[in-house]
Amino acid sequence: MNVVLKADALTMRFGGLLAVDKFSMEVAPTDLLGVIGPNGAGKTTVFNMLTGMYIPTEGRVSLLNEDVTDLSPHQITQRGMSRTFQNIRLFKDLTVLDNIRLAGHFRLKYRLLNSILRTKAFKQEEENLITEARELLKIFSLEKKETFLARNLPYGEQRRLEIARALAIHPKVLLLDEPAAGMNPNETKELTALIRWVRDHFQIAIVLIEHDMALVMNVCERIYVLDHGVEIARGTPAQIQSNPAVIEAYLGAST
Amino acid sequence: MNLVSYLGPLLQNAGVFIILALGLNLINGIAGQFSLGHAGFWAVGAYVGASYGVFFAPAFLPDFVNLLISNVLAIIAASIAGILVGVPCLRLRGDYLAIATLGFGEIIRIIINNLDVVGGPRGFTNIPHWSNLFWIYLWVVICVVMLANLLRGTHGRAIISIREDEIAAAAMGVNTTKYKTLAFVIGAGMAGLAGSLFAHAQQFIHPSSFSFMWSVIILLMIILGGMGSMTGAIVGAVFLTFLPEFLRLFGETVSEWRMVIYSLLLIFLMLLRPQGIFGKHEFNLKRLWPVKTGDAK
Ligand SMILES: Nc1ncnc2c1ncn2[C@@H]1O[C@H](COP(=O)(O)OP(=O)(O)O)[C@@H](O)[C@H]1O
Ligand SMILES: [Mg+2]
Repeated sequence: MNVVLKADALTMRFGGLLAVDKFSMEVAPTDLLGVIGPNGAGKTTVFNMLTGMYIPTEGRVSLLNEDVTDLSPHQITQRGMSRTFQNIRLFKDLTVLDNIRLAGHFRLKYRLLNSILRTKAFKQEEENLITEARELLKIFSLEKKETFLARNLPYGEQRRLEIARALAIHPKVLLLDEPAAGMNPNETKELTALIRWVRDHFQIAIVLIEHDMALVMNVCERIYVLDHGVEIARGTPAQIQSNPAVIEAYLGAST
Repeated sequence: MNLVSYLGPLLQNAGVFIILALGLNLINGIAGQFSLGHAGFWAVGAYVGASYGVFFAPAFLPDFVNLLISNVLAIIAASIAGILVGVPCLRLRGDYLAIATLGFGEIIRIIINNLDVVGGPRGFTNIPHWSNLFWIYLWVVICVVMLANLLRGTHGRAIISIREDEIAAAAMGVNTTKYKTLAFVIGAGMAGLAGSLFAHAQQFIHPSSFSFMWSVIILLMIILGGMGSMTGAIVGAVFLTFLPEFLRLFGETVSEWRMVIYSLLLIFLMLLRPQGIFGKHEFNLKRLWPVKTGDAK
């Protein structure tokens, strides 16, 4: 199997707390995977280790066949993995368009001097960047809001903008941390369709953390279940739904 | 008293402070890195520029060429100081960065105080009179255009993103250390430029011209005008250059209570308009035809 992202026995300790214990995962180029588990299970911590925000206590991460465990977050992003955050982290006082443009930053080739002297290279690249940003905004139905400050968007649109911004990185792997949190059922339904469409259209791998079971079971092809930092199950939605350990630890607790 | 000979030096100082405030605004207001050592970079520029003027400048060069050489040397020296201070200090956050940069400013002043070649505590005299209103305001214009262009490009956006959310910036592929350092070095370089222009206008500089109090006053300028706004930095710099002169009209006592009045001013500002006069906004003709930002009116 062709693997774009590989987590190998990732372990994270915070002092005495074992937040994640030997978590392993393999992601193929167009996989759509889910990570579920009760609050505090260690899901976000896994994302933080994958993206370089935390250095794992043990274990390795490899992205596109390169060991990225010790790289910093911006280096990992530049190598093709981007993410959204559980507590939305937009650039709140910047416009919707600028939020997207920032994601193109590292791909632009013009130098500081080009922008100070307003050279042709500067104008050309900025123009292309804006064109591309607008296309993305259209996909996420945000094109009418490009001049809005991010903080003035309704919650659901902020979530969508954050996903659009992560896509503007041109990632090979996209990590979504609770993308439907705080959305109403209608928005969640639209988001479900959008996530699948994004995967098909951009041909990228998506890993998502989600509490909305309908969304996860609907869109994910394989699911990892974490409880107290330990993987208690993995498999297809059907397998997960009928797994006694999962029902005990997670589904059982919520029904 | 002749109005021109009275206003001239004041306008000169206003120009120097505009450049200082614009530089500090880039570091504090736009990159969001709290620096309290700006007077240190100012001093480096002033003493390097003045040393060139006093010890090295070839007499056969026209004054304006010598001034430009002095300016460039001052910018380079202060930028190097910016790298030396910035690289280790920018790892620190918030209060710690402020304390570290404050320490740097004081160290510079103490070093100069003990450097006999540049006059030590007696001050540095006989600096050639090369700069004037024209050169100072030419540099002001260059700085404004340069900064405005920088901020509208991707490097400027990267610097702003750090202020907005450093973690999100890194997640978007922005090398935050690099751009923090860039902002810091450009700001320091501008302070160096201001120092050299100042030295060649005053012809006399003294270590106490660059004391910690001046770092605070420059900070006050940008807080007053609105952190993150270049327009604000300019207005703040002009206002705080003229305010002491205005206070002098009310006699010595009021003038001596200057710092108290500044503090009161700051308190009132925090109560009435904590974002400063201009907030993060710029003076902009286009604002007359507003775009939708979703802001409540
Ligand atoms: N930076 C941190 N320092 C200390 N403990 C942390 C840190 N980040 C997460 N944790 C702890 O690790 C555990 C897993 O957290 P998290 O990964 O956020 O869970 P989830 O996303 O599954 O709800 C929790 O007990 C949390 O308190
Ligand atoms: Mg979480």
